[in-house]
Amino acid sequence: MDWLFFGEISLAGLAMGGLYALIALGFVIIYKATRVINFAIGEIMMFAAYLFLAFAGGMEISPWVAVPLAVLGGALLGGVIEKTMIRPMLGESPISVVMVTIGIASILVGLVELIWTADPQLLPSFLPREPVFIGELYLAPKIAYGFLIGMAMLILYLLYFRFSRGGVALRATASDQAAAYSMGINVRRVFNLAWVFGSLAASLAGILVAATGGLSPQFGIIGLSVLVVVIVGGLDSILGALIAGVFIGWLETVAGAYLGGEYRMPATFAVLAVILVFKPYGLFGTHEIERV
Amino acid sequence: MRIGDAKQTYLADEAIWTSSTQKIWFALLLAVLLAFPFMASSYLLYLGCLVGIAVISTTGLNILTGYTGLISLGQAGFMGVGAYTVAWLSLNTGLPFPVTLLAAGLLAAAVGVLVGLPSLRVKGLYLAIATLAASVFLHFIFAEWEPVTGGMEGLSLEPAHLFGLEFRSDFAMYFIIVPLAVLALFGAKNLFRTRVGRAFIAIRDRDISAEILGIPLLKYKLMSFALSSFYAGIAGGLFAYFYRVVTPESFPLSMSIFYLAAVIVGGMGNLLGGVLGAAFMTLVPEALKLLTAVMTPIWPNAPVFMSPMLEIIFGALIVGFLIFEPHGLAEIWRRVRRFFHLWPFRS
Amino acid sequence: MFNQLMQKGRRLAGIGSVVAALGLAAPVMAQDKDPIVFGGSIPLSGVFAFAGIHLHAGLTDYTNWLNDQGGINGHPVEYVMEDTAYEVDRSVAAFKKISGNENLATYYGDSTGFMKAIAAEVNEMNSVLMSGASFATALTNNEQYPYQFIPGPNYSQMFGIILEYIASQGEEGDMPTVAFVYSDTEFGKDPIENGKARAAELGIEVVEEIVTKPGSVDVSAEVLKMRRARPDYVVFHGYVLSPINEFMVQMRQMGLDTQFMGTFWSSDKLIIDKMGEDADGYMGVMPYNYYDSEEGGPMLDALRAQAEKSDPEAGYRPTGYMQGWFNAMVWTEVVKRTLDAGKELTGDNMAEALASIKDWDTGGIIGIPVTVKDMSFPVGRIWRVNASEGRYEPVSDWIHLD
Repeated sequence: MDWLFFGEISLAGLAMGGLYALIALGFVIIYKATRVINFAIGEIMMFAAYLFLAFAGGMEISPWVAVPLAVLGGALLGGVIEKTMIRPMLGESPISVVMVTIGIASILVGLVELIWTADPQLLPSFLPREPVFIGELYLAPKIAYGFLIGMAMLILYLLYFRFSRGGVALRATASDQAAAYSMGINVRRVFNLAWVFGSLAASLAGILVAATGGLSPQFGIIGLSVLVVVIVGGLDSILGALIAGVFIGWLETVAGAYLGGEYRMPATFAVLAVILVFKPYGLFGTHEIERV
Repeated sequence: MRIGDAKQTYLADEAIWTSSTQKIWFALLLAVLLAFPFMASSYLLYLGCLVGIAVISTTGLNILTGYTGLISLGQAGFMGVGAYTVAWLSLNTGLPFPVTLLAAGLLAAAVGVLVGLPSLRVKGLYLAIATLAASVFLHFIFAEWEPVTGGMEGLSLEPAHLFGLEFRSDFAMYFIIVPLAVLALFGAKNLFRTRVGRAFIAIRDRDISAEILGIPLLKYKLMSFALSSFYAGIAGGLFAYFYRVVTPESFPLSMSIFYLAAVIVGGMGNLLGGVLGAAFMTLVPEALKLLTAVMTPIWPNAPVFMSPMLEIIFGALIVGFLIFEPHGLAEIWRRVRRFFHLWPFRS
Repeated sequence: MFNQLMQKGRRLAGIGSVVAALGLAAPVMAQDKDPIVFGGSIPLSGVFAFAGIHLHAGLTDYTNWLNDQGGINGHPVEYVMEDTAYEVDRSVAAFKKISGNENLATYYGDSTGFMKAIAAEVNEMNSVLMSGASFATALTNNEQYPYQFIPGPNYSQMFGIILEYIASQGEEGDMPTVAFVYSDTEFGKDPIENGKARAAELGIEVVEEIVTKPGSVDVSAEVLKMRRARPDYVVFHGYVLSPINEFMVQMRQMGLDTQFMGTFWSSDKLIIDKMGEDADGYMGVMPYNYYDSEEGGPMLDALRAQAEKSDPEAGYRPTGYMQGWFNAMVWTEVVKRTLDAGKELTGDNMAEALASIKDWDTGGIIGIPVTVKDMSFPVGRIWRVNASEGRYEPVSDWIHLD
């Protein structure tokens, strides 16, 4: 066994996993606050990446301005989706709400094709191109810097939720909606905020992923990998999202490298199936107790 | 104007035929279905067959999602199981189509039960994700198990046959597909007049209450999975005979979502809704194509926008129906009928 | 005014032909002979639209040009198509609609999936000859697909041409090494087995084989494998753009001096347009001359003139345009040969006429005379990207496999 090779592969996988963790964080924020499983998260990422393409490629704005702009655009999109399409579904069965998000995903794909056509695209490169070495280990510069940016964002998020007023409101709403409401927290606003923040995290991750892998209207498929991450980690656990994100990213890459690309999805979905059978609410998820 | 009929027994309440008017309309419908292939162009005939297959699969998914409240993203995978079963059997055994189709249904049902097993421990959305995992695995098996599935190349098969008769054309296939679709609908209709069907509905409405009422959840959930995938298997088998080629790429995830959309747009938990939804969703792209043809003289770029518009319309239909008309086309249909029933006394 | 437009629209909808509606239709001339109908399931929208729009333009322009030349033996030619959005069931629907309304002679299919799904019907009709966007190896199986041909080399033959080129760069006993990178799709896996067999014959070692999901994926780990395998050549297949760019950029960042090659659908200008300087040195196998190549010839000049005439603004025309044009050229030749032999336009007769094509001069579309073998034209040439000029330049002679 070539340990150096294994080390390099693992490093690449972990870096990708860091991005998965960021997307999963966005997903979990939305789920925690609003109990909505967002199947459209991959498409929100895609939309933000196309926005970046339009700003940096089309209008030739500096990438360092275009990234925040596109991320804000993605966040705004999340807010609008919540206001117009998720809010009216308040109180409906979770299955109906999930299907609404599937519908939203389809609408976003159509919009992207309408505005930017279905042609494959490459993002203008904005990350340094010199190879990164960690000791002996080589790491592709794009994913190395992508990982760093992603991690910075992630830490910002964790701090925000821990210490800020909005973060406290969000956590309060997540743990008990009625109590939060009676304490004077504007739960509706929290719902909207959760979508905005969730989409914001996903949008940044979307741009970083698209920068390494290219962009097309099928980009949203990445949402499936994220679904695996959040189920394995537990839908409502931020810690779970982080750990499972890194783990699934690593597993996917290692399986792809050693078994072949056709094994990437089956490998992660096999983990998912095992988790569903033995630990249905994920590694760190809250076990829900239902009463009639 | 028609007068409502008073029902005096529970039996009457459950009856399929409540009035002779209904029978007349139904006979008329059958006559139209019978006459259709003799008058339709090859294009319409093709669409008719597509709708027929979609009706069977949608009805199956409706049993699971609409009536039992279990969402499935694996419908295309189950159809694939049926299609590959038919292809393999017809290539290796040459059995006539009733046998191969039945085998397709049964094998798909068995796979369905396997996929439904996690419902022992998880439910709702977690289960949906289990079905998603199943569709990933099934696709992997279709693509990689070369000796049986032919790998990425897939399998080409002989036309369906029975007693020396070969069903080569769409015209001939129509006479397999449409009767089976009618049969499938009658089967489902009768299902919901039995204990099993009512148990499904009870589980959908509140599973814990259903359990307290003495309905073993696992057993009935698995039954629902089995029945639903049986329908999918038959639909997949017909798909295989219809195109006479099966490849792993014939059953993408988007197909599962298509059927979910058909159930939603038609009306969840309504058989007529399933039919309307299947027909509607199958015909929307063709209707849109007609529309672009009309638009092009005014706006020459119209064809380029067809596919994106289709994606948008597809999504908007799902979202719009769920928000504004959760009972789907079936409810609209009912309102229209009601209008005519009460006309001219109330409009 | 508006009424008039609406009326026109309704009439067009009645015909069911988008082409006529596009205003690009062949001007059917006042001749007594029956028109010969070319049909097509064309992906004007959807994931394949980037090529579909140009295929359509190529077919349309050729039809117009041909009618200006007097059609085929005095028969005017009509081109009737429908948009498919690159979905198999809609492609089939389009075929049924067009074949129901018209007396089809030849047909353009937009995907391998469609070609297979329609095969049973086409075989029974025995009246249509088909070709299209697919270069799938399976379609050269004459038993299963007797009326479907490939307007160039099939994917396996493309690999053959690429490998022959690679072999020509080495010496006996000191052959370059090669790695295959392909997508996990029917399209991607098509030529791999044959390619490996051919490489073994030529003494070329396949040092690495990488399968990826199509489209947007992170390939950093796969690039690491390349870093160890150190192939002299990487051959891509089953992609349009990503992840070819990522492999090229990352492998060069690692200091590897690997050469990169691709097949027909990954050898268009798109690569240069999207990748810019990074595309420099990328090589593709192409059976036709590029629109902006320095080659000439009566047909190539006619093509350029017609393209200029139909849309003076367009400038460069992508490979899809050349492909569409060449398809229609072959149809014309086949129909002409069948009619000249005094035979009816049945599938069998047209397939026979196609098989009889030998040392056929394509007037510069293909640089050398071509001979049909197993329903394909096993010919091609290796072209390399010159990024500063923004175009492909030939680096090999025309290679005709036998």
